[in-house]
Amino acid sequence: MTHTFYDEMYLANGECRSHYREFTRWLADTPSDLLAQRRREADLLFHRAGITFTLYGDDQGTERLIPFDIIPRSIPASEWRIVERGCIQRVQALNLFLTDIYHDQRILKAGIIPPEQVLANEGYQLAMQGLDLHRNIYSHISGVDLVRDGDGSYYVLEDNLRTPSGVSYMLEDRKMMMRLFPELFAAQRVAPINHYPDMLLDTLKSSSPMENPTVVVLTPGRFNSAYFEHAFLAREMGVELVQGADLFVRDDKVYMRTTAGAKPVDVIYRRLDDAFLDPLAFNPDSMLGVPGLLASYRSGNVVLANAVGTGVADDKSIYPYVDEMIRFYLAEEPILKNVPTWQCRKPKDLSHVLANLPDLVVKETQGSGGYGMLVGPASTKAQIEEFRARLIARPEAYIAQPTLSLSTCPTFVENGIAPRHIDLRPFVLSGRETRLVPGGLTRVALREGSLVVNSSQGGGTKDTWIVGD
Amino acid sequence: MRLSISHDTTYQYDEQVRSSIQYLRITPQQSERQQVINWELNLPRPVRAQRDPYGNILHVLTVDVPHDNIVIGAHGQVDIDENCEFEHESQSALPFLRVTRLTEPSQALREFASIQCKTRRDRTAMIDLMQALNAHIRYEKGVTSTETSAADAFAAGRGVCQDHTHAFLACARSLGVPSRYVSGYLYTDDSDHLASHAWAEAWLDDAWYSFDITNNLTLPERHLKLAVGLDYLDACPVRGMRRGGGGEQMHAHVDVSSMFMVQAQ
Repeated sequence: MTHTFYDEMYLANGECRSHYREFTRWLADTPSDLLAQRRREADLLFHRAGITFTLYGDDQGTERLIPFDIIPRSIPASEWRIVERGCIQRVQALNLFLTDIYHDQRILKAGIIPPEQVLANEGYQLAMQGLDLHRNIYSHISGVDLVRDGDGSYYVLEDNLRTPSGVSYMLEDRKMMMRLFPELFAAQRVAPINHYPDMLLDTLKSSSPMENPTVVVLTPGRFNSAYFEHAFLAREMGVELVQGADLFVRDDKVYMRTTAGAKPVDVIYRRLDDAFLDPLAFNPDSMLGVPGLLASYRSGNVVLANAVGTGVADDKSIYPYVDEMIRFYLAEEPILKNVPTWQCRKPKDLSHVLANLPDLVVKETQGSGGYGMLVGPASTKAQIEEFRARLIARPEAYIAQPTLSLSTCPTFVENGIAPRHIDLRPFVLSGRETRLVPGGLTRVALREGSLVVNSSQGGGTKDTWIVGD
Repeated sequence: MRLSISHDTTYQYDEQVRSSIQYLRITPQQSERQQVINWELNLPRPVRAQRDPYGNILHVLTVDVPHDNIVIGAHGQVDIDENCEFEHESQSALPFLRVTRLTEPSQALREFASIQCKTRRDRTAMIDLMQALNAHIRYEKGVTSTETSAADAFAAGRGVCQDHTHAFLACARSLGVPSRYVSGYLYTDDSDHLASHAWAEAWLDDAWYSFDITNNLTLPERHLKLAVGLDYLDACPVRGMRRGGGGEQMHAHVDVSSMFMVQAQ
């Protein structure tokens, strides 16, 4: 992999890529003071949305505004079709993998993945062994994180099969762009995404064998960093937003407390980790869950989306095997590439990693959110040495990958417009069929040279356009 | 040996409880080692039996009319095969390599395990480990609680059966030996030890072998197994929550007797 960056807007010779021509023409024609005014307007509008949100809470406001950039990330439709097929293929294979490891374990018996890697994994839930799920779907909502290397080819950085977040920013960013710059959407056809909440509700309803199931969104509460999104999605779908205390279990069935009495609940879109779902089965200190929920779930009386125990499939120690899963379950070649990965639990891989730390990205197998990771080229000697000690102490807890160059997209920064690194998280919905709205959430690393796009690490977002070629 | 169990637990609340829910693992399973002659639960209301994630028999009791006490009774007779040294299992034992908060090995526990067992991973190594832990953690009631971790009990050098068991699990798993927590009853004429008991099982030569660390026993001839799990929290007989009720007094009466002894009296 090379270290020249692929720019989404410009070719290496400085010429604008064809699918961005309409936009750059508009950008050149729009007076800069008008743009500046619109950007301030955007900040204000997002801030207001934030204030609306904090009305529920108190003044501790744990929610932060995620910076929004008005220059969209644009993908030609022909390219998107490949990405879309690749994401669908991947999520189908991952759901088949989950069905398999909680039933026949064919992939383990075939010797493709060492059984201990799966069965002794923290994300593997014995509670799921032998349990049959409607349509065999475990990950109803999946976020697939994609990046592009120097030559522009797409790589899957990681799969998110637990409680992937960010889709509200995808939707809000589009709303904001349409509000601020309606002329852009008149000038060219950008594939719509506003049907995502309908598709999500349809997916959730189809996860239950019942005809018209009652769906709720279960949130950990207003102090959770994604609370805004939980409230947003519940409102957009027209379903109840509940916390653990709003639900209760009686005789293995789940009910919600309403002013009109107890109402049965059939599908729970839970934005709460496995460990907090049921204090009687998992973490006993959890005040966020519902006592009795696991027994009700295992009795088949309620659907959890996503299912319990999906974490084993998006664990970074399992990630290196996804290509093999696609071949094993679908008899297809992977459409999207996996980043080459060294598994530090293997002595040979570990010695390679230790010898090349300054060039590599090292991640915790169970980590997420960009914490507990080392980006070799962007780290000081001291940081590298600190990580070396951690690696030697617990090699099995880490994987390493080459530093991808990550594509760039022009972005408004303090002194005008400059390229910044981006990624893409499409949201894949699995129900009667596996599908996604065109696009996803584009995250941008606002610090110059930074490759970490997580919002917890100073990342912003962009509207994502799928446009005709 | 035929064991006769009579176990009554009364929860008395200072105020009215609005609703309560309990996960009960108080019904033994039929197995190679134990044959259930009869078993009966007395609960405030009828409850369907189900399996929990570990295959244990689970009753979920929900009471949502105001109440100020709950009485849970378990009574029955079970034949124990005194010569049965191990039990088979069709599911993989690998999930029992996992670390939990209660069984997380500290550096001290890892070193202790490695000193006792060196490169050995067989039954004699586990017996040495059991005996060494029995000597290191002195049996003493009231020092630890159900929330005490293996590492803390080991550091304190005092504890009860569940601390012994957690410490054993932490050590065995750190050596790569799958092992699990067992909760049940022990028949004993030594009144110092509660009849509700906990011990460990380790996966050796494709079977589960018992290790009662508290009593330095490897043949569970007087042990009636109720449930297994990764640690106390998975296997304990009662885990519950309630709304309202204020303070609580729990009164348990366990009577484990050998039918043979009873008849001889």
